[in-house]
Amino acid sequence: MGMLTFDAIVVGAGPAGVAAALTMARGGLKVIIIERGRFAGAKNLFGGVFYTHALADVLPDYWERKPPFERPVTEQGYWMLSPDSVIRVMHKSERYRKEPADAYTVLRARFDPWFAEQAVEAGALLITRTTVTRLLKDERGRVIGVDTDRPEGSVYAPVVIIAEGVNNLLTRQAGLIASDLPPTHVALAVKEYVNLPAKELQARFGLSGPREGVAIDVFGDVTLGLPGTGFIYTNQSGISIGVGMLLSEFITHRLRPYEVLERFKNHPVVRPYLEGGEVREYGAHLIPETGYDRMPKLAGDGVMVAGDAAGMVDALHREGTNLAITAGKAAGETALAAHQQGDFSAAFLSRYRRTLEDSFVLKDMKQYRRMTDFLESSPHFMGTYVNLLNEAALRYFTAHGIPKREMEHDIIKMVRERRSFTGVAWDMLKLMRAMRG
Amino acid sequence: MNAEQPVVPRIWVFVEQQERQVHPVSWELLGAAKRLSADLPGSVVEAVLPGHQIADLAPQAFHYGASRVYVIDSPVLEIYRNLPYAVAVSQLVMQYRPEIFLIGATTLGRDLAGSIATRVGTGLTADCTELAIDPAQHILAATRPTFGGNLMATILCRRHRPQMATVRPRVLPMPDPMPDATGEVINVPFDMREEDVPVKRLRLIRAEEQPNIEYADVLVAGGRGVGGPEGFALLEELANALGGMVAASRPVVDAGWMDASRQVGQTGKTVRPKLYIAAGISGAVQHRVGMSGADVILAINTDPNAPIFQIATLGIVGDLYDVIPALIRQVKGQAQDGHAHL
Amino acid sequence: MHAVVAIKQVPDTSNVRIDPETGTLIREGVPAIVNPYDLHAVEAAVQLKERVGGGQVTVITMGPPKAAEALIECIEQGADRAILISDRKFGGADTLATSYVLARAIETINAELPVDIILFGKQAIDGDTAQVGPGVATRLNIPLITYAIAIEEFDLEARTAIVHRRVEQGIEVLQTSLPVLLTVEKEIAPVRHAPLPRLIAAARYQPEVWSATAPVVFDPQQIGLKGSPTVVGKAFTPEQRSGGEVISVADLGLNAVVARALAVIEQAHVRNLQPETGVVS
Ligand SMILES: Cc1cc2nc3c(=O)[nH]c(=O)nc-3n(C[C@H](O)[C@H](O)[C@H](O)COP(=O)(O)OP(=O)(O)OC[C@H]3O[C@@H](n4cnc5c(N)ncnc54)[C@H](O)[C@@H]3O)c2cc1C
Ligand SMILES: Cc1cc2nc3c(=O)[nH]c(=O)nc-3n(C[C@H](O)[C@H](O)[C@H](O)COP(=O)(O)OP(=O)(O)OC[C@H]3O[C@@H](n4cnc5c(N)ncnc54)[C@H](O)[C@@H]3O)c2cc1C
Ligand SMILES: Nc1ncnc2c1ncn2[C@@H]1O[C@H](COP(=O)(O)O)[C@@H](O)[C@H]1O
Repeated sequence: MGMLTFDAIVVGAGPAGVAAALTMARGGLKVIIIERGRFAGAKNLFGGVFYTHALADVLPDYWERKPPFERPVTEQGYWMLSPDSVIRVMHKSERYRKEPADAYTVLRARFDPWFAEQAVEAGALLITRTTVTRLLKDERGRVIGVDTDRPEGSVYAPVVIIAEGVNNLLTRQAGLIASDLPPTHVALAVKEYVNLPAKELQARFGLSGPREGVAIDVFGDVTLGLPGTGFIYTNQSGISIGVGMLLSEFITHRLRPYEVLERFKNHPVVRPYLEGGEVREYGAHLIPETGYDRMPKLAGDGVMVAGDAAGMVDALHREGTNLAITAGKAAGETALAAHQQGDFSAAFLSRYRRTLEDSFVLKDMKQYRRMTDFLESSPHFMGTYVNLLNEAALRYFTAHGIPKREMEHDIIKMVRERRSFTGVAWDMLKLMRAMRG
Repeated sequence: MNAEQPVVPRIWVFVEQQERQVHPVSWELLGAAKRLSADLPGSVVEAVLPGHQIADLAPQAFHYGASRVYVIDSPVLEIYRNLPYAVAVSQLVMQYRPEIFLIGATTLGRDLAGSIATRVGTGLTADCTELAIDPAQHILAATRPTFGGNLMATILCRRHRPQMATVRPRVLPMPDPMPDATGEVINVPFDMREEDVPVKRLRLIRAEEQPNIEYADVLVAGGRGVGGPEGFALLEELANALGGMVAASRPVVDAGWMDASRQVGQTGKTVRPKLYIAAGISGAVQHRVGMSGADVILAINTDPNAPIFQIATLGIVGDLYDVIPALIRQVKGQAQDGHAHL
Repeated sequence: MHAVVAIKQVPDTSNVRIDPETGTLIREGVPAIVNPYDLHAVEAAVQLKERVGGGQVTVITMGPPKAAEALIECIEQGADRAILISDRKFGGADTLATSYVLARAIETINAELPVDIILFGKQAIDGDTAQVGPGVATRLNIPLITYAIAIEEFDLEARTAIVHRRVEQGIEVLQTSLPVLLTVEKEIAPVRHAPLPRLIAAARYQPEVWSATAPVVFDPQQIGLKGSPTVVGKAFTPEQRSGGEVISVADLGLNAVVARALAVIEQAHVRNLQPETGVVS
């Protein structure tokens, strides 16, 4: 066999890589996707809410192809936990009931293989159990292929799309980003999949049947008041439950991720939902909190980067897979155009970034550009306010016989004791700025 | 042609000998056969003993409960090889049509059993941990672990005879011998010639005598919690004081702290000592399947939730490095004073 | 040289879980793999081919359509041809029925291109029976060597081989005529990392599929449930022996705990306590 040559190489069979490969294969390119896991999705883990709009863009007939969704999200919202209480803000609407829905819960070990299969059907070649170890460059520094951990493992193509996820080794090697993400710009999430019979699950969460599901984001005591969130999502017959915090918080506070999750699971409000369930899966994964301002360059000569590898995550709305798919598609379309023009230079491939600037991907990223900085500089935000809200609620609901005026006064006093008034005002201002972008 | 009355249900046990040493599993199986026989009206327990110049081993089979021993003596059976053994035993099976045929799940037994079952066209259940007679159907109910010990399955062989099963050594208890018992010896002719055997043994590279933990009365087993190879010296000291041997869990063997011959469990050995001391062993199911037959289990673990405590006769939550030295002092002290109430 | 390797796709038992309510196996999410010993068998065959300077390695499996994945992995590892023997009628086969099907298949393969050696794994990790290999050798009426760890010599002209086999007393060195059937331990050959071009070729490879009636007509009486003398009466999660008391050094103090431990040791009737070191019984 001579040199292994393709029109395009995709590194990683996550949502970004598969979307890119699918787009290119449908455009007639000879594409190889290289994935290190035993199968696509074997090593992938996420919280669990998948947004369909991006999928519909790359695969308009996805619904007919029977994606392995768990449950549509028909109710969503927030729990604000203090050590012994909770305030729940949940939204349920008949309007969530149309299918295909906007959002579904998903298990990656089932979803990713299905998605990859769509690319294979379109003609892409999927090679698993193979790790890309480095990019191959020509004497002018242009990317011309990749090397893998297999014997005779070099593959060549005029364009390589890096969709390697959060461990951005190749992105760094491509020179698209200067360094590894510091612990302050990457979150660590731990998650368990707890099995429960569908009937039992539905009863506990007040769901009328398999076509209903909830997605809950949890703040406050779940992360011991530190910046971060927890989540509880319902699957077909099980619960995804997890906690994510900045890696730096785990380090500074010497917290063990698993213990934080155990503590969450044993919270008096949470425990009854899990009672009798069996833990089927346990895993940890990083989430880039790179933010708009620190994103890598998205294209170089003969190379583009998409998805988590490029830091394309909207942490506030727990979105990532949809950004990854949209970016993968944009990168794939750019590669198609590059093949048409015969131009694989960084200058030509920079179209890819422009496409994303016009899409929600970079617009959202830009809007929440200060969010990570905000959380980093105001760590008390989560803990203090969530506890306060709970205590205020307790006073409010139990203050029988106390004049209402006095009660309000108490609550305000309570707030002031915890944090100076100017401090509160300052926090609010910062939060608003972070959200407005 | 049936030489015997065809109605007698025979329960057969294969007596495995190599270099004239009978493998103890054969006696364990005779014990099991006796128990099965009690539930199978009119049945007899008999032993099959192939080899060369081994007739003098037959009385041992009587001591463990066989009423008859079929001795197949031939030079081609001097050392074990699949073909002559399979042919010799299968011929005998065809002739006498036993109801049940039990074979030890040793290297030899596993090699042989599948061949016999195929030759006579019957079912074979491997690696059983429990044998019983199904009271309704009067057939063998052979129970075995599957899927890594996570599941037990009871296998039946309804219409084919014999109902065959292999059983791992030490899964069943060793019966007490009855030195006065005697029985009948049937000498079975076998006329295969050496030229007809396609496999020759050129040589045997003997392994060093491996410690045989399967038959120790006392085992002091260490797990990952022992922390390193040095800690096993302490376990050795306790084992010596109790007249036992040291055993280990798989991670210990994988890490090279102990030889593989010491491993207890699904991929190691099954043991059933009188006393099993588990120190720093969590008690995963794959470990437990190898040792839950011990008479008494003493577990020492720092983690109060360690699964080993679910099966331990006595569980001690504590550091093995506190408990074991104290235990050694006590055991040695008592033994020395001689006033031990042990 | 023509080698046939029988392989089986099995659930990765290190991941197997049992539903505590129903006592059934949860196959959900349990990855299917090539039975680990079988991969070593494939490797041994490929190495043998390299050693004698050419030939063919044919892999066969009897299993559901999904087992094609396992065959493709063997193609990656260097096998040349793969046959999936798959039909609903084979379902529920025990080792006797399985060995019938494999033996018949190997006879057919042998008629096309004579087979010199047949390799099996030592055992399949889902059932751990280690019976299928001996069964097939017996049906084909060829020599059987189980627990093989090395092929010292392989002489196609003299039609003999020298094989090392692990037994309880050590290692047996056996000479056999060819064709021979080996069941192999992992030591027979370390599994190599397959080269990328092979992976790419294998990704496009389609195994041949044989049914119960074509190209070989299997005897319906000897396959599947019908051909299986053994049936599973019942399956259940192992009953645990129940534990006794759990005491803690922190609560009772070391002395009290050790006293209790001694009492338990006494209960075990370990009589051979000796002043110095005990001798193994
Ligand atoms: C706990 C958690 C909760 C989340 N919750 C949500 C959510 O609810 N909704 C949502 O939309 N998003 C969520 N996300 C984010 C989402 O998972 C990611 O943004 C998304 O998976 C990114 O897709 P990707 O294709 O870029 O990377 P990945 O999905 O990480 O895929 C990268 C792939 O590349 C492979 N790979 C890496 N390096 C190599 C190499 N060198 N050679 C070969 N293969 C390689 C990997 O094995 C992997 O398959 C969550 C993330 C986490 C960790
Ligand atoms: C197919 C398969 C087959 C297997 N076969 C076997 C087998 O044959 N045999 C086998 O053993 N395993 C086997 N295993 C592995 C098994 O699943 C477990 O991983 C293994 O038994 C764990 O060994 P352990 O208890 O020594 O280690 P761990 O599970 O790590 O337990 C160590 C224990 O030591 C305790 N500890 C730590 N320090 C101290 C201290 N100072 N004092 C007291 N206690 C302490 C800890 O609390 C912990 O409970 C198999 C697994 C698979 C998948
Ligand atoms: N269905 C099957 N198809 C092909 N080979 C098999 C099959 N079942 C078992 N084998 C082979 O027989 C060996 C022993 O399997 P077992 O007797 O089930 O432990 C395996 O390692 C395989 O090589």
